[in-house]
Amino acid sequence: MGNQELPQLDPVIHAQARLRVTVALAGLCADEQITFPRLQQLLDMTPGNLSTHLRKLEDAGYVEITKAYEHRTPVTLVRLTPRGRAAFEEYTRALHRLLEVPGAGQ
Amino acid sequence: MEDESEPMSAEESLALIARQSEQVRRELRFDPARLLFVWGVAWFVGWGLVYVATVGSVVPGWVGGLVVSVLFVAAIGYSAYYGTRRNRGIRGPSRTAGGMYGWSWCVGYLALVAINVKIGKLGLSEESTSLLWTGSCLLLTGVLYLAGGAIFQDRLQYGLGVWIILAAVAGVLVGYPANFLVLALGGGGGLLAAAVTYLVLARRGQRVRGRAV
Repeated sequence: MGNQELPQLDPVIHAQARLRVTVALAGLCADEQITFPRLQQLLDMTPGNLSTHLRKLEDAGYVEITKAYEHRTPVTLVRLTPRGRAAFEEYTRALHRLLEVPGAGQ
Repeated sequence: MEDESEPMSAEESLALIARQSEQVRRELRFDPARLLFVWGVAWFVGWGLVYVATVGSVVPGWVGGLVVSVLFVAAIGYSAYYGTRRNRGIRGPSRTAGGMYGWSWCVGYLALVAINVKIGKLGLSEESTSLLWTGSCLLLTGVLYLAGGAIFQDRLQYGLGVWIILAAVAGVLVGYPANFLVLALGGGGGLLAAAVTYLVLARRGQRVRGRAV
């Protein structure tokens, strides 16, 4: 029955806020990083909320958070890891497979 | 937290992905068509008006000069605003290259203006001054598009550079005052044609992406 089973959706990504974070990060090039405030503004999330979700993504190894100094000012840089990008691609593939299954969920 | 309680269906999830990636593309992606369009209009309208003012008697000469200056200052301001806004808060090799490339325009044109103003004061005829400005401005613009095409691996931009350089030579060969017409039609028209090409390519790309999602 293996192939007949419904595809599993990655619970780390399958939550509204974390999906939005992942999509935003996936929109950057693989070698690009975004600062925490810019990401926050882009997604219109509170700092606390964004931190919480980023930590979960980081714990799963999907996101890399780097603290650096630029002109003596601390900056937090965020990027999607190759593993995170692969997980996101697998997640979208699973969504499409789910839609192809007639009467999914029965 | 907020969203853990509301599960999403596959459709909702895909709709959210489409919405969010469109927003990210709008705010972070550098769209070459936009700046080409702004500059194309500035060249086309500005230099077209200068040509009309030079050959005819309908528009006074100072109006052409004033309109060109205003359009160019506005285009410079908008380019700087657009470029820095896209790059704000994002780090990466292509962003660094984009920033350096943007500054190249600034440095190149400041030097060009300084040189041309000084040479113009050495007692050139109106005709020579005009050809000096149009030839050198088009040449610098063309070379910068060649550089941009090479940096960003963009054949269309490289082709635009070649076209603008041809217009630079053609403008000087046809002489004053038709050089303004070459500037408006060849230069401005070339920029607008490139902008339209980028738009068409983007539209086609979107359709391909739409099919993939």
